[in-house]
Amino acid sequence: MPLFPRPAAARQPAETPSSRPARRFRKTGAVAAAAAVVMALSACGGGSAPQSADGTVELRFSWWGGDKRAQLTQEAIKQFEAENPKIKIKPEFGDWSGYWDKLATQVAANDAPDIIQMDEKYITEYSSRGALLDLSKYDIDTSKLDEAALNAGKGDDGLTGIPAGINAATILANPKVFEAAGVPLPDDSKWTWEDFGRIAAEVTEKSPKGTYGAAAYGTDEASLGVWLRQNGKSLYTSDGKLGFEPSDISEWWAFLKELSKNKAVPSASEVVEAEAAPLDQSGLATGKNGLAFWWSNQAPALEKASGADLKILRFPSKTGSSADAGLWYKASQFWSASSRTKHPEETAKFINFLANNVKAGETLLADRGVYPNAEVRAAIESKLTPADVKVVKFIDQIKDELGEAPAPPPKGAGAIQEIIKRYTSEVLFERLSTDEAGKKAVDEMKSAISS
Amino acid sequence: MSAISELSSLSRRKGKATAEEKKANGRDNKAAYIFLLPWLVGLVAITIGPMVMSLYLSFTDYNLLQPPEWTGADNFIRMLSDARLHNSLRVTFTYVFVGVPLQLAVALLIALVLDKGLRGLPFYRSVFYLPSLLGGSVAVAILWKQIFGTTGLVNQVLAMFGIEGPGWISDPGTALGSIILLHVWTFGAPMIIFLAGLRQIPVMYYEAAKVDGASTLQQFWRITMPMLSPIIFFNLVLQIIGSFQSFTQAFIVSGGNGGPSDSTMFFTLYLYQKGFGQFDMGYASAMAWVLLLIIGVFTAINFIASKYWVFYDD
Repeated sequence: MPLFPRPAAARQPAETPSSRPARRFRKTGAVAAAAAVVMALSACGGGSAPQSADGTVELRFSWWGGDKRAQLTQEAIKQFEAENPKIKIKPEFGDWSGYWDKLATQVAANDAPDIIQMDEKYITEYSSRGALLDLSKYDIDTSKLDEAALNAGKGDDGLTGIPAGINAATILANPKVFEAAGVPLPDDSKWTWEDFGRIAAEVTEKSPKGTYGAAAYGTDEASLGVWLRQNGKSLYTSDGKLGFEPSDISEWWAFLKELSKNKAVPSASEVVEAEAAPLDQSGLATGKNGLAFWWSNQAPALEKASGADLKILRFPSKTGSSADAGLWYKASQFWSASSRTKHPEETAKFINFLANNVKAGETLLADRGVYPNAEVRAAIESKLTPADVKVVKFIDQIKDELGEAPAPPPKGAGAIQEIIKRYTSEVLFERLSTDEAGKKAVDEMKSAISS
Repeated sequence: MSAISELSSLSRRKGKATAEEKKANGRDNKAAYIFLLPWLVGLVAITIGPMVMSLYLSFTDYNLLQPPEWTGADNFIRMLSDARLHNSLRVTFTYVFVGVPLQLAVALLIALVLDKGLRGLPFYRSVFYLPSLLGGSVAVAILWKQIFGTTGLVNQVLAMFGIEGPGWISDPGTALGSIILLHVWTFGAPMIIFLAGLRQIPVMYYEAAKVDGASTLQQFWRITMPMLSPIIFFNLVLQIIGSFQSFTQAFIVSGGNGGPSDSTMFFTLYLYQKGFGQFDMGYASAMAWVLLLIIGVFTAINFIASKYWVFYDD
């Protein structure tokens, strides 16, 4: 006997009656197979801007930022949809840290959002690789936008970013911390880096344990950029190279080490932990730091989180003259569009709304920086919150002190922040001397922006 | 019908039967394939397809945004001089070769205790297994971060004794240790397997040993260990493979950057950063294949070495 006897029916020679069901079976099988393949494929495809039968277009819009920004932006979306019932905007938002990994993956998978909030660090990366739409070819009014900010979004690949706001690097002070320590707030019109270190150390000394006069710098390139500019150098040159030498960044770290030694800034471990904290849990927001390095547009959100009447200060300078502080206007963020969007007209319409419509301005206010559109800025003045007003005042106040506009970050600049961070902790934990760190960091940065 | 006549009738039918049976066979196979289809589609589309693709990409320069460019073995040559990659290998090897033996030792120890026939055994078994279910999760990694932070629970307890602890996960000297500890804590899965293995060892061996006057320690080394060696081997292979690939804990605890100072920069984390953070997917794909090779080599070593220490009772 065979080991596994087949059922008698299977062995029957008479096949005729069963041939029809068999064929049907085959057909069903083929259909099932096709269905499975289609399902698998559609799972990969990801619905990119479908257009429904009644002509409604759905666009995806992604940005990074906190809760406050999410609320305001969704409000602005509603305003737009009310004016344009045929266009639906689907928001996608998250934290800065995960935003770029996600965006890179989406773009690679041919599933990029139609409207992308873009940063200057990455705009060249994406535009030089053809991922962003040249917006100058579409109906977007740029005549009323601040010229310098608008130029920041222009490159070899056309106008790939419309500025969403104007920003400046600042130091924010929490007066509550200063009051508790009994130390007067610094005069930012004439303070030097030595003053900064001395005042911060004094605040630490007179504060309870765990509170420090200042947050450490060294976790991003803005504070390095200011330092370099004050020393006649720059982060990048206009031909896309590094604008400084290892010795320049070594000096910057040497001063940070001195601050750390005097306890003007938190311990190395605390600095590392602070890096990972979101805005509303930062040292400034929780009242653990008297001074901290932030962009001007972040002041209102930080004020909300800290519950304190924050002061916006200029960076210290070497000479003690605010004219030498070397600040500049930065386009805080850009509105960019995916080059593969199926609805470029509608996408441009939405970006135009964000940039030029007073209604958008009235909802977004100064969350992404001061409005680059002068007309909108004037129209929404009365609606600004006291915190927003402070930001606008600060931006106006430094207008005559600005240095030259910095060269745009080259391709690969997205990696620079991470390199700075890593070597800052190498220095603070005394695993590398400032000279060694300077040399190694510059080598790494050079290879990051040359590849 | 006698056996012989059946045989002869079988052989007589042979020629005709094969054709029919082939048909029936083919039909059966077809049905089987159709039932297998969902899995097969998944295997091809989600596993084999991407694997072939990544093998191809590992020989290219691919920045995610533009089509890949063939560069031959360039990615692999670049790895030889990539100091951060070498560091990530060192971190990963430390993690595997410290974490896995420690975890298995703890698992075995707890299994031995539970095997003694505790009252309420199912309860303890569940309690000890719980971390394994949770340990790989994002939530626990975040919790870990809180517990071992500068002002976390561990340092608060230490402060009661007047000791000022470091920032366990933010100090490059202790960060990797904290993550290894998290790994050891998830000893539940190997523990359950050990417990099952211990239950398989016949009591008579122990009884005989006791009669001969063997001490508890002698019983452990001479009976428990040899009898349990296939189970230990099984756990070892699985845990080594798993540990080489671990990613979540380091990603969450370090905030995604493998910091401080690359001290928790696992190979997988560096791979992720290269691929998705720095637009170097070709290089990341090459790294993935190197990891596969490393895991393959260690698994092979494990199997070869097992001939000398694993005892099969049959």
